[in-house]
Amino acid sequence: MKLGSVKYLVGEGVKNTWVNRLMSLASVGVLVACMVVIGLALLISENVAKAIGALEQQNVVMVYMEDYNWALYSDKTDTSSDAAVSENGEEADANGIKSSDYTIHNDEEAKALCDKIAKLDNVASVTYVSSDEGLASVKESMLEGQEEYFDFLDEEYGNPMSCAAKVTMKDMSLFSETIDKIEQMEGVDVIQSQDDLAEKITAVKNGIYVAGIWIIAILMIIALVIVSNTIRVTMYNRKLEISIMKAVGATDSFIRIPFIVEGMLIGVISALIAEGLLYFCYRVATETIISTLGTTDIVKYGDMAWILLLVFLAIGIFAGIIGSVIIISKYLRKEGSEFAAI
Amino acid sequence: MEQLLNSSEQFFQVEKPIIEFRGVSKTYPSGTHALEDVNIKINNGEFVFVVGSSGAGKSTFMKLIMREEKANTGKIIVNGFELTSMKRRDVPMLRRTMGIVFQDFRLIPTMNVFDNVAFAMHVVGASGRNVRREVSRALSKVGLGNKARSMPAQLSGGEQQRVGLARALVNSPDLIIADEPTGNVDPNMSYEIVSMLTEINKLGTTVLMVTHDHNLVRDFQHRVIMLDGGKIVADNAGGDIG
Repeated sequence: MKLGSVKYLVGEGVKNTWVNRLMSLASVGVLVACMVVIGLALLISENVAKAIGALEQQNVVMVYMEDYNWALYSDKTDTSSDAAVSENGEEADANGIKSSDYTIHNDEEAKALCDKIAKLDNVASVTYVSSDEGLASVKESMLEGQEEYFDFLDEEYGNPMSCAAKVTMKDMSLFSETIDKIEQMEGVDVIQSQDDLAEKITAVKNGIYVAGIWIIAILMIIALVIVSNTIRVTMYNRKLEISIMKAVGATDSFIRIPFIVEGMLIGVISALIAEGLLYFCYRVATETIISTLGTTDIVKYGDMAWILLLVFLAIGIFAGIIGSVIIISKYLRKEGSEFAAI
Repeated sequence: MEQLLNSSEQFFQVEKPIIEFRGVSKTYPSGTHALEDVNIKINNGEFVFVVGSSGAGKSTFMKLIMREEKANTGKIIVNGFELTSMKRRDVPMLRRTMGIVFQDFRLIPTMNVFDNVAFAMHVVGASGRNVRREVSRALSKVGLGNKARSMPAQLSGGEQQRVGLARALVNSPDLIIADEPTGNVDPNMSYEIVSMLTEINKLGTTVLMVTHDHNLVRDFQHRVIMLDGGKIVADNAGGDIG
């Protein structure tokens, strides 16, 4: 097709949008509504994802190690005087603990285990917590007066806290697999975690994902039907023009292009209006949330603006093109008569 | 020998058919037999009236020529295109070789006279300069050079039909098909329109005109094909309609 023809057809499409402005306006209105709901669904899911992300970061797994302190309190360690000297001549210390009774002998070995854990794919971060730090942290979390019990243990038998690795994970749906891998590592005593929280987070995430897809799919179909209907009405209004076009030798694509341009233009106008409207609504909503709940942990519109605009443009242009093509092809095949159409 | 034959063909001006029907029959899915075993040749440069009462098969005859309908049996050749085996995507190319004049004018009410005519040129991808030149020429030919900016509603029936004629002419077609072009205009204008078609025909364009007006057929003395019950019942030169 020649450039001149393309210019002419695009011009015709733009002109037709204006000539059929009442129908175009109705389509723009409904499309904007669909896009705003899709945008809201995206913004809500993004905010939920952010909140879940924060929750995931808080879902810390403590990996306690088999160090000297562990051996002190472990049932597996034989601290009786008879076993003060091992078969290979190794001597037990004052607490009756031999070097072979535990796996992690010093900070270097503990940190090496931390590095090994950090190398797992699903591990986001690993922080080494020494037994002293562990004890201080436990005492801090105790109610007033209760920390004395730990002081007593510490003074009488030694620090009851073994050194640990504080682990966070990237994907909570792989939680169990990752825990299994850590458990199998040498030097790992026990893992403290909240399995049920991980399951709940994964379930909520999946739920939001599925709901989002459904909302977008349904609204996409609605958008498609709306644009198709506008084009259908425009098409019937322009039966005369189409019959003349066909009679003078217009190809199907020549007839189609102005309608496709019209559909695309409606989509683009709707996308721009939806973006502006959503920005305004979201700003009002977030300002209200911040002032009433005091939280500032909300996704900024600016971070999503381009993505939303691209999504809206994609929806608008897709609905415009597909809607027009379906309706025009149907019309040209079945009803686009030349002599008898009018 | 071949050269000799070619030169003799040129010398004797052997008439070549622009439209040829060979044993053509058309039955609609409803069971209506619209045309039965039609055999006809219309030569390049002829002016032919097609007459017949309602239901005689005139519309089907025209639709088959435009390839709006397909024949059930037989062979149709128009402007070198074999229509019975023609693919749908090639139909626009056939239509570009013909100009069509409708009984109800079929002008786009929201476009002025110039744009209504230019529209037919845009369809074939003509350049802007070419469109301006040819549209002005076609409007002058039908005597409407001064009405280019008028809207169809501001014109009389005869003037509207002349715009339709300009639109049919603007792409310089080899064949003009006029479907009762005088059906909605007064008798004086009818004569004027057929006179214009006759002038166009004298310049070499084949004209095929469907009409009910026996006076026109008698006065203009062109070949007449009469259809009745889907069959050609008369084919006479010189306006004789029996």
